[in-house]
Amino acid sequence: MIGLSHYLILSGILFSIGLIGVLRRKNLLMLFFATEIMLNAANIAFAAISSHYHDMAGQMFAFFVIAVAASEVAVGLGLLVILYKKYGTLDLDMYTVMRG
Amino acid sequence: MENLVYIALFAPLVGSLFAALFGMQKKNAITGIVTSMLLFISFVASAILFNHVMTVGPVHVRMMDWIMAGDMLIPFGFLVDQVSVTMMTVVTLVSTVVHIYSNGYMDHDKSFNRFFSYLSAFVFSMMVLVMSDNFLGLFIGWEGVGVCSWLLIGFWYHKEDVSREVNPSISPSWAANEAFIMNRIADLGMLIGIFILYWNIGSLQYDVVFAALPNLSDGILVAAAVALFIGAMGKSAQFPLHTWLTDAMEGPTPVSALIHAATMVTAGVFLVIRANPLYSMEAVHWVSYFIASLGTFVAIFAASMALVNRDLKRIIAFSTLSQLGYMFAAAGLGAYWIALFHLAAHAFFKALLFLGAGNVMHAMDGELDIFKMGGLKKVMRWTYLYMGLASLALSGIGIAGIGFAGYFSKDAIIETAFNEHTYILWVILVVTAGLTAFYSFRQVFLTFHGNERYHEIGAHPHEMYTYVLIGMSPLAILAVIAGFFQDWFEHFVTALLPEYHMSEHTHHLSWILGLIVIAFAVGGIVLAYVKYNRGLKRNEKLEHSFVYKLLANQYYIPILYEKIFSQPYAALSKFSWAVLDQKVVDATVDGIGHIIKSTGDNTRKIQTGNLSDYLRWMAGGALLLVVIAFVAFKLSQGAN
Amino acid sequence: MDGILTVLLFFPLLAGLLGFVVNKDSIRAYGIAVASIEFLLSLWLWMSFDVSHAGFQFVENIPLVSDFGISYYVGVDGISLFIIIMATLMTLIGIVALNIKKDVKNMIITLLFLEVAMVGVFISLDAIIFYLFWEFSLVPMLYIIGAWGGERRLYAAVKFFLYTFAGSLIMLIGMLYVAYVYHSVSGSWSFAITDWYALILPLDVEKWLFWAFFLGFAIKVPMFPFHTWLPYAHGQAPTVGSVILAAVLLKMGTYGFVRFSLPMFPDASVLYITPVAILAIIMIIYTAMVAYAQEDMKQTIAYSSVSHMGVIIIGTFAMNAEGITGSIFLMLSHGIVSGALFLLVGSIYDRRHTKLMSEFGGLASVMPKYAVIYGIMLMASVGLPLTIGFVGEYLSLAGFYKISPVMTALAGTSIILGAVYMLNLYKRSFFGPVTNEANKKLNDLDGKELAALVPLVLIVIWLGVYPKPVLVPIDNSVRALTSFMHEKAQTKTAKATILVSKKNKEMK
Repeated sequence: MIGLSHYLILSGILFSIGLIGVLRRKNLLMLFFATEIMLNAANIAFAAISSHYHDMAGQMFAFFVIAVAASEVAVGLGLLVILYKKYGTLDLDMYTVMRG
Repeated sequence: MENLVYIALFAPLVGSLFAALFGMQKKNAITGIVTSMLLFISFVASAILFNHVMTVGPVHVRMMDWIMAGDMLIPFGFLVDQVSVTMMTVVTLVSTVVHIYSNGYMDHDKSFNRFFSYLSAFVFSMMVLVMSDNFLGLFIGWEGVGVCSWLLIGFWYHKEDVSREVNPSISPSWAANEAFIMNRIADLGMLIGIFILYWNIGSLQYDVVFAALPNLSDGILVAAAVALFIGAMGKSAQFPLHTWLTDAMEGPTPVSALIHAATMVTAGVFLVIRANPLYSMEAVHWVSYFIASLGTFVAIFAASMALVNRDLKRIIAFSTLSQLGYMFAAAGLGAYWIALFHLAAHAFFKALLFLGAGNVMHAMDGELDIFKMGGLKKVMRWTYLYMGLASLALSGIGIAGIGFAGYFSKDAIIETAFNEHTYILWVILVVTAGLTAFYSFRQVFLTFHGNERYHEIGAHPHEMYTYVLIGMSPLAILAVIAGFFQDWFEHFVTALLPEYHMSEHTHHLSWILGLIVIAFAVGGIVLAYVKYNRGLKRNEKLEHSFVYKLLANQYYIPILYEKIFSQPYAALSKFSWAVLDQKVVDATVDGIGHIIKSTGDNTRKIQTGNLSDYLRWMAGGALLLVVIAFVAFKLSQGAN
Repeated sequence: MDGILTVLLFFPLLAGLLGFVVNKDSIRAYGIAVASIEFLLSLWLWMSFDVSHAGFQFVENIPLVSDFGISYYVGVDGISLFIIIMATLMTLIGIVALNIKKDVKNMIITLLFLEVAMVGVFISLDAIIFYLFWEFSLVPMLYIIGAWGGERRLYAAVKFFLYTFAGSLIMLIGMLYVAYVYHSVSGSWSFAITDWYALILPLDVEKWLFWAFFLGFAIKVPMFPFHTWLPYAHGQAPTVGSVILAAVLLKMGTYGFVRFSLPMFPDASVLYITPVAILAIIMIIYTAMVAYAQEDMKQTIAYSSVSHMGVIIIGTFAMNAEGITGSIFLMLSHGIVSGALFLLVGSIYDRRHTKLMSEFGGLASVMPKYAVIYGIMLMASVGLPLTIGFVGEYLSLAGFYKISPVMTALAGTSIILGAVYMLNLYKRSFFGPVTNEANKKLNDLDGKELAALVPLVLIVIWLGVYPKPVLVPIDNSVRALTSFMHEKAQTKTAKATILVSKKNKEMK
């Protein structure tokens, strides 16, 4: 039987993959993918807990996150295109403009 | 009568302000005349008040409130009773003479007007001091005379500092500061005394305080008596606060006559006399005895230093110090009226002596070394006469009820010492009388008799202006006759002050006692005559002996003070500033600032500008928060 | 009559803003006019002040943030009245004597803003408003030191700002905590200090709060060992900055003790008399010695300020009407006298561009008027009777004698040590022959300088001879304060130490 903990473990693994992706990747596009993975990990956790407690709020939140992620991708990809046009690269280390 | 009180008090102030108007201008003879006139008016008012007190009784006026805070209420109130009216008359009389004298003495000085402004301001302060009806009012005058003394000692402020070998007082401004600061040390004692009285009695009015004394505990009485006497020690230059008085001779001579001989320095004696109900309490008996002992010690201590001094004014200053010792001896032994009597008599002859010295100084173009004078009696007859009379009075010459002023007043003090069975004090005072006669006449003979040594320094001495000499005559007359008023004066002041009678035993012996004293005094004069009448024969061996050097250097006390107080204080101040303040306190503050700044400097490096670094920090931070939250959760569970 | 405090507070603000559009040439006259009107307004406040009434007068209370009990709550009593008058007077004198060449317009506008802050601090009866003005006063002073100062002006300005700011932040935390306690006791928020007065705090809370407020006030005063910002600030500030700083800004600290610490924490105040007094005595003796070691005239006066502030602290912690009245009077006299002394140093600095005593000597011969006024102020500074300096010093020490005779004697050394460094300064600069060529042709004080200094001389003598008109209102409020503290005190020692004067006992 697949219980709540299985879903949560899956969510945790996905989140970790996303986190490692965020930390290790240098390409901004890849970073976007990694964040998406993390968001979806959260969504799985939301949905699983929601069904476990029979509370619809979690699933509503999952939809909300999907909506936010979609708009974020829309805006974010637009920014990426401009950045690429300006600097000719999407490598993070090339953007060290603000140094303390 | 009230108006007379105000006239006596404020006439000098008006004079001072008037002269101050011309303070920065060239000499204007009118300032001298107006201030002298106003002082004369003040003197007349005081004299009328004297008569009024004698015939009717004391006058007490209350002008206005001064300080009121909490339960403290200090008014400007003025009390004219037997003691204060005596002081007022003496002060205004001597001041008037000194003002007239100064018209002549200061006539070449470019700060003529300023001088009169200060001098009258001094008289005003002195009048406040003696007339006030409460201790804080007295303190106003007390500090006021201190400031005027500071201004007047440092009157020739433009003179340069020189080494102690050249001039023991270093410079007028140095001497002025020394006087002010030493007096301040004593004033702190006096302030403490005032606080003690206020918190235990609730008032500072003389009458209230004196009425409440019997209710106080012994400890408080002793503390108050000691604290007030510390104040008196400063003003009256008693050991160990005495060094300023001789250095104060840097001031113009009329100042020395008025402030540092006749009036201000006697303020300490006045305080003890004024507070006689306190000092007569049984509980403070040993304080009074200490006062008498200290006075006796100072009498012989100062006289010994006068023996070898070569400076005309300093010799007289030492003699003032010595005579103040006599006054304290009398006051300490309970003979307050005798102390007051000696105070008045001393004011006359000592002022005369100083003014005479001023004439000599004027004649000798500022030279004060008696070794360089001699034979001046030919050119300065009147001055010679005056100084001779004053010295006779100071030495206490007289016999069988006839004599100069000092004979009556000083003999009475010496007799008191015998009467109180304090024979050690008596012996010292008798010996001091001999020393006094010796150094007074050593000075007279060296100045006026013998060979004319002044030719060597190219001086052309001349007699003082006639009007100045006439102006000095009241003092001369009083120096001669003041003693004859002894019984009358006793009757007058003992209406307020406790009476003092000699015991039967003393009374029987009094002629022998008198003979002993007079023998010492005459002996001193004869010795001085033998040694110095023919002229100056210097004894090299004596002058190089240890005792002579010790006396000539004032027992090395000024140097000692410099070594143990002034210099360490300056060094410690420098240390406080350069090391403690800058290197410790401020460095700590700056150090804290630097730590914060360097922390910022170091952590700034986190801000690489690289997004992936930021992300790593963020992830690390989030992880840390999770761990903290987890641990806190576990801990709180464990606690439950 | 109502609203006079609001006028007093906002008039310089509006005038300052208007000042931006005033012509450069007439800005001086404009500044003097505004400051004079403000000064006259404060005098009017005094005229209409009811002397017999000890509590707050001209009270205005307009809620600002009613949910948190913050309101525009102002009023004056005898304690604050004269400090306000002194603040307006010293601003006026400062503007009259102003002698900078650079950016006069900015300076005058800054001074007017500073005046707003100073008046605001002393009329506020709401802790938040008080704190706002307290901090706001730092900004114009920072600007004055930083823009017109000497060589190390930035260091001095930043040090001044950060140091006092750090202290007041701790005070702010204390204030918030008092408000929190008030909320938990009464159920509503209030920052009105009259409400806080009524609040009885647990003893251990009182102790902590006492030190929180103490830190804020002590740095401002400044008490040893928090004093090191002051010499730098004075050393670098232009004359007018030093005048205002010494005369008014330092008084905020000592005023804070009287307004907050004493009535709010009577038990803790009594409990900590000894440590505070020891700090004050160190401050008196130690800074007097440091003042003696200075070569720079202005530094001597700066350190002498610290030393005198020690006597004010001693008087404040005397816990009886004599001492506290004395300390408030001493605040006024110290403000007038040290302000005048800084003006005098400024005059000579303008002529010679140095403040080192070794550069002078014999000035009394060259500049007699200058020497006379300097001499009078010096005598007032060393506390000569019949000058303004004596009354406060005497009362402060007299009051503290009741607490501890020995410590009074130690604090009393101020009259000796003060004479030592002041007379030394005077002797070195004014006496002796004129040795330095540069000093031989100095001009005496000019009309502008006399216009600034002569009124101060007159006040010094007037209030020395007849301090009654000022002492009576102060004393009224202070006596009310001590009897209130006595009522409120919880411990027996505190009740025994805080003296109620006989007049107030009779009133009950």
